[in-house]
Amino acid sequence: MLATIGGVFAGLLALPAARALKKKFSKTTAPSDYDASKHKWLMCLDVDKCIGCGLCADACKTENHVPEAPHFFRTWIERYIIKKPAPNSITLRGEVMVDSPNGGRGGFPPSLVPRDEILKAFFVPKLCNLCEASPCTQVCPVGATFDTPDGAVLVDPTYCIGCGFCIQACPYGCRFLSPETKTAEKCTLCYHRITRGLKPACVEICPTQARVFGDLKNPIEDDPLQAFVHKNKVNTLKPHLGTNPRVLYANLDKEVR
Amino acid sequence: MRFFNLPPQIVRLILLIFAILVSYLVARTLLTPDTFRDYGFFRGAALSEHISQHKPVFAGKAACGERHPDVLKTLAKGSHKNLSCEACHGVVSQEHLKDPANKMLKPTPQICVRCHEASPSRPAWFKQIIVKDHYSDTCFECHLPHQPNEAP
Ligand code: HEC
Ligand code: HEC
Ligand code: HEC
Repeated sequence: MLATIGGVFAGLLALPAARALKKKFSKTTAPSDYDASKHKWLMCLDVDKCIGCGLCADACKTENHVPEAPHFFRTWIERYIIKKPAPNSITLRGEVMVDSPNGGRGGFPPSLVPRDEILKAFFVPKLCNLCEASPCTQVCPVGATFDTPDGAVLVDPTYCIGCGFCIQACPYGCRFLSPETKTAEKCTLCYHRITRGLKPACVEICPTQARVFGDLKNPIEDDPLQAFVHKNKVNTLKPHLGTNPRVLYANLDKEVR
Repeated sequence: MRFFNLPPQIVRLILLIFAILVSYLVARTLLTPDTFRDYGFFRGAALSEHISQHKPVFAGKAACGERHPDVLKTLAKGSHKNLSCEACHGVVSQEHLKDPANKMLKPTPQICVRCHEASPSRPAWFKQIIVKDHYSDTCFECHLPHQPNEAP
């Protein structure tokens, strides 16, 4: 009796051990020419360079087959208009108006605020902030969303149950529930492109290099990311939340959330 | 039968703990995905699945430049040097990739206006025009699209 139980026990212990061994000697899951541990991707944005053409938001939808409806975006552009303060109001700036018609996909219509009432106005491109301490991966009850070793935050659609916790957790509003797959979707940094040596679609299409993209582990000559941090005073969105976004913004105004 | 003269309630307890442990190990082995913990606390195969299930749509400036080195060179001379071909021409179609005789549609002046129409939100360094005050809306008569500072 004792021997039988011992045998069964040993056998069951051997199972995971055998599995671990098999894993060690079978091929890894990475594509043969791409090693995720040898890269660390990052995108940075320069608000002063964005002209609000909206080609990035458009390209992202095309590239990633994002649902057409105007509230599903993996990247989008916001237009900030800060009005002049009312006379005698003892403030430096007036009302702040933010809009993003269809995510800026078709460009922006002329603003309703007359030019002489505008103190300043600018465009801010938004995307997944690639947080170091990402709230979205922390709240996922099934471990379907995760930080990849090369810097992206992905969703495993075969494990996602579509509960929507991550959508609520993201303070930047970067996630949505796809009506087609019923799973959470978000910016993948165009993972299928960067692993094939291409730039993300939004970076590829951006006419002014407002979006800077690079690999922290393999800096190239005159690396654009290093130059970006060297030349600009950079900031992150909502730093007080402790999410530690890796995405850096240059020339960010305090009104930008 | 008795183990080491242990009281039966202790033997039962040991067997129970044992059964729980065994079922935990069985469940764990069967339920853990093969590639779990390859990279971290997630299914490693999700990475390669993501890559293989998604094909790039935009070909990229480098790919266009390989087939049109002359255009790439002229573009690099003018102030449109940072523009991607697909920003104006749209995604390179599969038909065009397969057979270059299937020409891409020519861009219309609408695309110029999308970028260059004056707007107070656009940064001051960017060259903008008020389209209705700027000569005519057929931009290509006066600006070469690939070298906008040159006239045809
Ligand atoms: C600023 C927008 C813009 C960009 C960027 C651009 N093109 Fe064009 N391209 C045009 C327009 C507009 C025409 C049509 C000109 C016309 O109708 O005469 C054109 C025409 C062409 C033609 C046809 C030329 C001919 O003689 O018939 C080719 C080929 C071409 N482009 C390739 C490229 C390639 C390759 C790139 C990238 C290296 C590129 N274009 C970038 C706007 C652009
Ligand atoms: C995707 C956005 C985009 C599109 C589309 C675009 N341009 Fe430009 N254009 C730029 C940028 C960026 C510059 C360079 C920045 C600057 O000097 O203001 C520029 C510069 C110019 C200049 C100034 C050249 C100089 O150096 O004085 C002219 C003229 C011009 N574009 C005409 C056109 C015409 C004509 C078209 C349509 C074929 C067009 N652009 C389409 C983004 C665009
Ligand atoms: C009749 C010829 C003509 C046509 C048509 C024309 N332009 Fe121009 N464009 C010019 C000339 C000349 C200049 C330079 C002097 C000036 O600013 O008037 C210029 C300058 C520009 C500039 C630079 C402005 C600056 O501040 O330096 C842009 C951008 C531009 N054009 C875009 C366009 C676009 C977009 C169209 C089509 C909607 C267009 N142009 C149609 C002749 C033309």
